Formats: sequence, structure tokens, C-alpha cells
Amino acid sequence: MESEVDGILVAAHELKAPLAVLRQLALALGEISVDDEEIRTEMIKVSERAMRQVNDLAKMRRLEEGMFKMEPVAVREVCDAVTSELKYLFEAGERELLVKYTNRSRLAMANRELLQSVIYNFLINAVHYSNKNTRSQLSVFETKGKLRVAVRDFGPTLPTDIFKELKTGQILKPTSIAMRPGSSGLGLYIASKFAQFMNAEIGAVRHQDGTSFYVNLPVSRQMSLF
Amino acid sequence: MIFVIDDDLTMAKCIKRACGRADVRIFANAIEAMELIARGELPELIFLDILLDGPDGFTFLNELVSYVDTSKISVVVVSSLDFSGRDLSNYGVVGILNKETMTPEEILAYVK
Repeated sequence: MESEVDGILVAAHELKAPLAVLRQLALALGEISVDDEEIRTEMIKVSERAMRQVNDLAKMRRLEEGMFKMEPVAVREVCDAVTSELKYLFEAGERELLVKYTNRSRLAMANRELLQSVIYNFLINAVHYSNKNTRSQLSVFETKGKLRVAVRDFGPTLPTDIFKELKTGQILKPTSIAMRPGSSGLGLYIASKFAQFMNAEIGAVRHQDGTSFYVNLPVSRQMSLF
Repeated sequence: MIFVIDDDLTMAKCIKRACGRADVRIFANAIEAMELIARGELPELIFLDILLDGPDGFTFLNELVSYVDTSKISVVVVSSLDFSGRDLSNYGVVGILNKETMTPEEILAYVK
């Protein structure tokens, strides 16, 4: 088992190297036309997204090593960082992203890096599977003593089998989501693992016109200084 | 003269190009670079990958700081490993660039 997991780490490094090179090559192109600039930007962003996913896989190995500390995390700030990174993707795909914060408790017990990955995966999912000209929503609010970060998208609703698996609190393995073409379910699987590590609950709400994915985080008792 | 030590030739070429200078030499491993340094060719700056074929970047850094004349060479670590929060200044490291996020402008800034 140990050698199998280490194989994942080696594979992650091997995969990251060409992606980093591809990104550098795109950056090295110098001055180019406006149309080509769009292609370059897309090349860079696609490489960065792929590297992030590979990094997430490597993080899963580090979970077992106890590399991620739980601490009070300012949830809105994490959401702001991720939305700012992905805003361009929504715009490029002719979709909107609405952000709504109504939480009174500012801090949750989590790991900032892992929480960032969970939210990132939810939002990437929303970008890919929302229909054009729809407005996805990222919201943070309190429910039953927990802080909930939810991402509502407007695309094919989540199939019942995945929904049922999510209800158990974790995804056991990546599973292709048939109604969401091209999805390997890897992002959801990774988010599930990270949530599990943070003692958080991951789940989904099915709507007629889409799905909300959420993670419920324990509220931190530490008083906020801000 | 600037040295780029990286076993990924394409990445090394990207760094060389970003340096904007002609006197940039590329090495695929630390041994080749060390041999040239031992012959008296001291670079002003080295861009160094850490995970290399053969001796790794830290072995190379240890060699550099072991000698008076080479301990003064500025080194920029270029790696996809996470060195955030690590102080490598004892190794003569003046900067750390992450391969996943660095830009040609950041590379050039160290050259300047």
C-alpha cells in the first residue's frame, strides 16, 4: 500500500514538470497579437488548473503524514481568494458568479489550504457544468451551529447514486458522473477526502435546474480579532 | 556568466531565454556544473533546480558553501517543491522561484 501511494507522489511530480514547462513556454512567447494572447492566456490557465489538480493528489498523500494542521480559518477570506482566481473563468465562459456572505461567525476550524481546494473544486465544477448565461452562487452562512460554504450551479442535476453516496459524508472513489459529461468525479472525490480530514461534512442538494454542493465546517470558538 | 542547472532541458532553455543574456550556460546535472566551477569558471548567479538526476540541489549547495570562493555565488532555487517559509540564506540562496507560478519577469529581476 505504501509503495502504491508513493507511486502517486512520483507520478504527481512527473505530471507537474511538463505542465510547468508548458506554462513557461507560453509565457516565453513574447509579444503576440490580441487573438493569440487569448490563446496564450488559456494555455497558462489550463496548465495552472491541471497543476492544481495534480497538487491536490499529492496533498492526499500528505494527509496521511499529518502535514495539515487544523486552525481557525477566516472563511470569507478563503472564499475571496478562490473567487478572485476563478472569476475570469466564469466571465470567459459567459457565466456569472454571485458571492453572498451572511455568516456572523467569521472563523471555522479547518485547514486553509485544504478548504481552498474544496471550494476551488466546487467552483470549477460550477464553471464546467452550469449553462451559459446563468449565475452560479457561492454563499457562506450558518446552519445548525456549523459554517456552510455552498456553491449552487445551474446545469444537469446530480444523479441519485452520487447524491446518495454524498449523503454518507464521503465519496469512496472517483466515479464518472454520467449526466455531467467529461467528469471523472475526481474533484468531488478530492473535496470529500479533504473535508473528511477537517472533520467537515460534504454534501449536495439536488435542484430541478442544477445542484448545490456544500461543506459544513465546525465554527471556531476562538474570538475574532477583526 | 550565469549557470542554469536543471535536468529538464526545455525548462532550462525557458530560464535562459528569460535571463536576456548570451552568457548563460545550461547544465543537466550538478556534477557538470561543479566540474566547470572547479576549473575556475565562477558564475555570478546560478539558477538551481533541486530534484536533479544524480546529486540533488542541496548536495550542490553544500559543496558551494564549503569553499570560500564559491560560497559567495548567489543562487536562486527554481523548484516545484514548496519552500515557503524556509530560510535557505545559509546556502547562499538569494531567492526561491516556484516553477508552477514564476514568470520571465521574476527571473529577469534576479539577473538585474
